[in-house]
Amino acid sequence: MRMYKRHDRSDIFIHWFNAVCWFLLLVTGVGLIHNPALNPFGDAFPQVLRGMVGGGGNLLLVHEIIGVAWIFGFVGYILVNPRGAACFLREVFAVSPDRDMPWMFRKLVLMTLGEKALKAMGQPSALLPQGYYNMGQKGFGQVSVIGGIVIAVTGVIMLLSDVYFTADATVAVSWAVTLHYLAVGVVFAGLLVHIYMAAISPDERPGFRSMFTGSVPEEYAKHHHRLWYEREKARAADGE
Amino acid sequence: MRKAQYAMVIDSAKCIDCKACVVSCKVANGTPEGFSRNWIKASEPDFAAGAKPRTHFQPGACMHCEAPICVDACPTGATYKNADGIVMIDETLCIGCGNCIPACPYGARFRNPQKRTADKCNYCPERRAAGLLPACVDTCPTKARVFGDIMNPESDAARLLEQHKDHVVQVINQKSNTAPHMYYLASTAPVDWTHEAVMPASMATMTGVVDPVVKTLVGLSGLGVLVMLGRQLLSGHDSSHDSSHDSGPDVHTGSDVQAGQAHKQQTDKE
Repeated sequence: MRMYKRHDRSDIFIHWFNAVCWFLLLVTGVGLIHNPALNPFGDAFPQVLRGMVGGGGNLLLVHEIIGVAWIFGFVGYILVNPRGAACFLREVFAVSPDRDMPWMFRKLVLMTLGEKALKAMGQPSALLPQGYYNMGQKGFGQVSVIGGIVIAVTGVIMLLSDVYFTADATVAVSWAVTLHYLAVGVVFAGLLVHIYMAAISPDERPGFRSMFTGSVPEEYAKHHHRLWYEREKARAADGE
Repeated sequence: MRKAQYAMVIDSAKCIDCKACVVSCKVANGTPEGFSRNWIKASEPDFAAGAKPRTHFQPGACMHCEAPICVDACPTGATYKNADGIVMIDETLCIGCGNCIPACPYGARFRNPQKRTADKCNYCPERRAAGLLPACVDTCPTKARVFGDIMNPESDAARLLEQHKDHVVQVINQKSNTAPHMYYLASTAPVDWTHEAVMPASMATMTGVVDPVVKTLVGLSGLGVLVMLGRQLLSGHDSSHDSSHDSGPDVHTGSDVQAGQAHKQQTDKE
């Protein structure tokens, strides 16, 4: 069977590097929130986590070190594979509303309420062909890119707060805290769906495998990313 | 669980405004120039005809409130009320966001320009660990400031409070009553210097808007995943699987999506 290449080794590396960083940053970050009006996972979680690393200050340090490593990881990726990064951004932000919006709606209803519900709404159950990414993947990609930039910038502001900022500039730090929380919350909401779709739903199994091997089988490419598949096939025909 | 409530009981009539408490605090805690963890406030003398012009001096500092708004304003819990009732700042956890400073109705907090983190009275833990009283209490020549655990009836502070229980006053801002643990005997002045606690807009937005939005989004997303997982498990496979293998119209390329240069085709080695 023909295999279609989707990811370079650097793409695969940055995906899993990001996944590990996000997991560690999320766990340590939730442990750093400790306020009676917030406490996303209750009062005990931050206390236990802080106890495990010898205090809140150490937890903050761990979070900061991983956060800086995460940013440098992306800088490294962009330096190693600038074309891959540019291609990812181009694909993720290339939305064709007439094709992608109905796709998104139908897919959402199909996945949650089912085909009958979609038919009851007077919608056909056929999904319009998608490109390199489908609209769900693009949506999460957009949220991750924009959210990631907000998280990185606000993180650096907070990191520099007690190094560089003066008392009259703390308004920036204070808003950085709020925006950091918002961005992480929105990305995490998307991440839950991403993890389900990619790793748990059987539908995307070959896509999941491609995040290790780099390529997907022809059948999968044809059925899930028809526009991309046709494009790649045409290109191969030209090349041959 | 609260084990103690360290507090200060002050007979402000004894204060002679010598400022020894302010100086010793600065020495003990190394507060930078222009900043102090404690203070002595003075009432305005009344120079009206027939009045006896006099000034009342009122020593003060962080009041280690029962309901500290500074704690509510801190996102990380770097400011917290300790089991001994003392409102503490964990400098290693404080990121210097400045939220807590306007949240104190007494202006007891400042952002330390050297450490760039929040700073205020913590009743000199280093001195207490060495068996000493807080610097300001130790140095007060008239013993206007008395310090101790008011939950321990044997302490000087608790005994004083008990003796004067019918005429103890607290300086309270009516709009921001934090139930301060700083008690003045008989009467004190001035009392009109507090300000309404200000929760920074960023923190109010975080707790009032961002937090519910985030929790709703994550909740909906989690619910969606559970529904999808339920359908997958019930039907044995993803119900949309067949329909996503769309037999939709063949759409040829050359449309809006650009070809990715990094995504080259390869053939299976097998």
